[in-house]
Amino acid sequence: MSAYLIIFFAGFAGSFHCIGMCGGLACALGRDPEGRGATVLRHLLYNTGRLTTYCFLGGLAGAFGQVICTPQGTTVPLLTGPLDTGQRILAILAGLLMIAMALQFFGLLPHLHRVTAGFGASTLAASLRSLLTAPGHAAPLAFGVFNGFLPCPLVYAFAAQAASTAGALHGFLTMAAFGLGTFPALLLMGGVGRALAPAWRQRGVWLAGSCILLLGLVTVGRGILPLAAHIAHGWSGGYPA
Amino acid sequence: MTGQDHALCSHCLLPIGRRAMQRTVNGEACAFCCYGCCIAYQVKNGKNEEWEAAWLLVRLGVGGFLSMNIMLFSLLLYTDAFSGADAAMLPWIHLLLWLFATPAVIILGGPFLRETWLNGKEGRLTSSALIVLGVGAAYLYSAFAVIERGPNVYFDTASMVLMLFTVGYYLDAVARARAARDLQPLLAAESEWATVVDGNGEFRRPVREVGAGTLVRVRPGERIPVDGVVKEGESHTDEAVITGESRQIAKDVGSQVIAGSLNLDGPLLIESSGAANATRWAQICRSVRDALICRSPSQRLADSIVGVFVPIILMLGVGASVYWAQRLAFDRALLIGLAVLVVACPCAVGLAAPMATSLGIGRLARRGCLVRDPAALEALARMRLIAFDKSGTLTSGETRVVAIDTDGATADVVLAHAAGLERYSEHGLARAVVAAAAARGLEPMVSRDVRVVPGRGIRGNSDGQTVAAGSAILMRELGWPLASGLAERGRLREATGHSVIYVGWGEGVRAVLSLDDTPLPEARATVEALRRRKVLAILLTGDLPVAAQRIAAAVGIESDGIEAGLLPAAKRAALERRRRNYGMVAMVGDGLNDAPVLAGADVGIAVGSATDLAREAAAVVLPPGGLWMLPWVVDVARAVRATILTNLAWAFGYNLIAVGLAMAGVLLPVLAAAVMAGSSIVVVLNSLRLERLPEPVPSAAADSAPPPRSTAVPVNSETLQAG
Repeated sequence: MSAYLIIFFAGFAGSFHCIGMCGGLACALGRDPEGRGATVLRHLLYNTGRLTTYCFLGGLAGAFGQVICTPQGTTVPLLTGPLDTGQRILAILAGLLMIAMALQFFGLLPHLHRVTAGFGASTLAASLRSLLTAPGHAAPLAFGVFNGFLPCPLVYAFAAQAASTAGALHGFLTMAAFGLGTFPALLLMGGVGRALAPAWRQRGVWLAGSCILLLGLVTVGRGILPLAAHIAHGWSGGYPA
Repeated sequence: MTGQDHALCSHCLLPIGRRAMQRTVNGEACAFCCYGCCIAYQVKNGKNEEWEAAWLLVRLGVGGFLSMNIMLFSLLLYTDAFSGADAAMLPWIHLLLWLFATPAVIILGGPFLRETWLNGKEGRLTSSALIVLGVGAAYLYSAFAVIERGPNVYFDTASMVLMLFTVGYYLDAVARARAARDLQPLLAAESEWATVVDGNGEFRRPVREVGAGTLVRVRPGERIPVDGVVKEGESHTDEAVITGESRQIAKDVGSQVIAGSLNLDGPLLIESSGAANATRWAQICRSVRDALICRSPSQRLADSIVGVFVPIILMLGVGASVYWAQRLAFDRALLIGLAVLVVACPCAVGLAAPMATSLGIGRLARRGCLVRDPAALEALARMRLIAFDKSGTLTSGETRVVAIDTDGATADVVLAHAAGLERYSEHGLARAVVAAAAARGLEPMVSRDVRVVPGRGIRGNSDGQTVAAGSAILMRELGWPLASGLAERGRLREATGHSVIYVGWGEGVRAVLSLDDTPLPEARATVEALRRRKVLAILLTGDLPVAAQRIAAAVGIESDGIEAGLLPAAKRAALERRRRNYGMVAMVGDGLNDAPVLAGADVGIAVGSATDLAREAAAVVLPPGGLWMLPWVVDVARAVRATILTNLAWAFGYNLIAVGLAMAGVLLPVLAAAVMAGSSIVVVLNSLRLERLPEPVPSAAADSAPPPRSTAVPVNSETLQAG
């Protein structure tokens, strides 16, 4: 449970980063002329769409991890429990990916930034502009769904984390926790429509980076550390190969 | 818009064939070759305020929202998240899935159903019918399962298949539009707008309404829409589309500009010199459009395969279901049939040729090389023998004085005497003599009583003595002695294929002028480059054998590849003979005199044709002075053919294996749909590799192997006086 809390917190902190891109889009979504209630509904729908995409990606990543790791179909709880070889490799890969994303948050690895953020984002965002002004409740929902697919290092990091859980449910929960974490800031953005002070944004980005770095290190550790214990366990006999 | 405009897809500019989708976007009637192009075009070009473009995205977004929810719950179901204590929730989860799936199937499946219905009314089965059938079966089975409280539902399959197909088609269309981007300027001549300036101001008018004498303003970065003369402004233009050479040409007041060239850096005011639809650019555009609409032989084959593809897949799918139903549970058998239906991808087969052909034709047309139809491109890629005409193709086509042999008089005096007479003649050789004198800055001698002696030459009076220029017979008739050295030189020159003119005055023959066509500087490099590409060059000409041999030696054609003294019909027969050994043969001519031979070859190639392109007998037209591009054109044609072949191999290989796997029951329908969506993208990406072909290199072609230039008069006639 505590792992999900960390993810939720990382999502919350990271969402100050999101204000750069998604926040701008949330602002552009604007207010509904039919009053405050309608505006809130509009932004709730937008965020629901976004959350759905994240959850879907999480579930998919988790199921993917499960398919390649545990043909037996057993799932393991997040951050604990014994792991088999495939899962350990996946954990190490996912952890390294998360560490790379975290370093990018700290302004390192500028080359990576172009790869993660530049991949067709502007084209996609430009095509979506027509949705912002479209009337009705379906448009903000659709907009949120597409928004969720916009390239974003945060999403990549947590999708990697979700894959390392090697279970659809855990993957789904990971991304759900992350998505819910981004809820408040983006809901706020839509309502207030005013950018936060850059200093606060920077602090949020560093905080999110730290959280991801921590989670990444733990994930990598999860892949490496039990190795010794695992072998010892294997030597003592009884562990099915 | 006319029916003609609709023959190409509004989005990707590929031919649409019979299965056009008609829509109105921004008030204009558009036609699309597939659903993907329809979406991509509206997303890209729909105005922001426009409800339709947004509505399409809203539908996709909501469809995505519903499908993702369905998929998420289904993933949890598949991974047994609802086993054990939560098993009681199963029927409710199924019901929830049904609730999500119904609008999703309606929203996402609508366009497929519509297409199936429209085609079905005309008695055609298209690939959308496979999707509708498969998805419909999965949905209906699952709905019954919910009512009957069955253990498994497949709403995820139904909605994800639709979602993947929609997204796959969309991505496909987006990638294909990159090919269209290159073709756009080549098709723009007819639909282009011009800024017309008159006394009352500036107006935007369709270019087809612009006539001669109209003033047209062209801003930097715009394409010049009409042929004309610059009246105001200075700029540089790039005429690559017309001449094939991409370089900046300075233009200022009084300069001629040609339609289709790009105005680079300054505003220009241009007075149109003719109707806009009669320019070479407009002709090029019409030719490119016609070529794109044409179907190549391999394309026709592919289309007929696609025609029987759908019914066969339908039978295979049903057959697989029936077969497996006797061995597995009914729902598993149904899924196997469904996987067969959605994994088969006729799109990849249908797309194998047109995309590569369009890219190739567009690529060539941007350098001014026009291809009349895709079949010519295929033939060009396969041919191993290329026959050249001599005059005007391998040579400049203009006769020039290449040597002057005298018995003591200086070349200048000889030329001045000869030019004094020949300027009164219209004969081709006479013009060459006058031009040679002018090139050396000589004043022709003043001559009186000039008389043409038909079939012999010309004579007159100058400085009180008779001057004559013409054949040896003329000199003999005049009774003038011919020095034996000079006579020997003359015979030698004639023996090597030159035309000779004897010049005499003061009761004696003083000199022999040798005239000939000179090979083009790039001819040798071109023949050499073709040989490196395993294409044999031969020479078919109506000229004398000696002349043919000299030119052939100069450009590097081997002596057994020369046939001279041929009438047009004989040229055609000679080509026919060679074809027996080489299969496909190409013929290069100037397009004026060789029309029958060009038409008789598998590929007729005209260089720098001045005639109306529409009446051109050649299938490939190179720009004036564009012989050096021939090896590059062959390269492009071969790359296009290789791409088509790999595309077809992939498309058929993919379908065989994928359908086989699906029938064996090892492919889940959702995975099958994803694989199918990817398969046509592979074809598109493979075709897009054609964009990376190198550009033709003019300097290398001319410089790498400097041809032995014939002795041109201004340079070295002095050295020839010795004779």
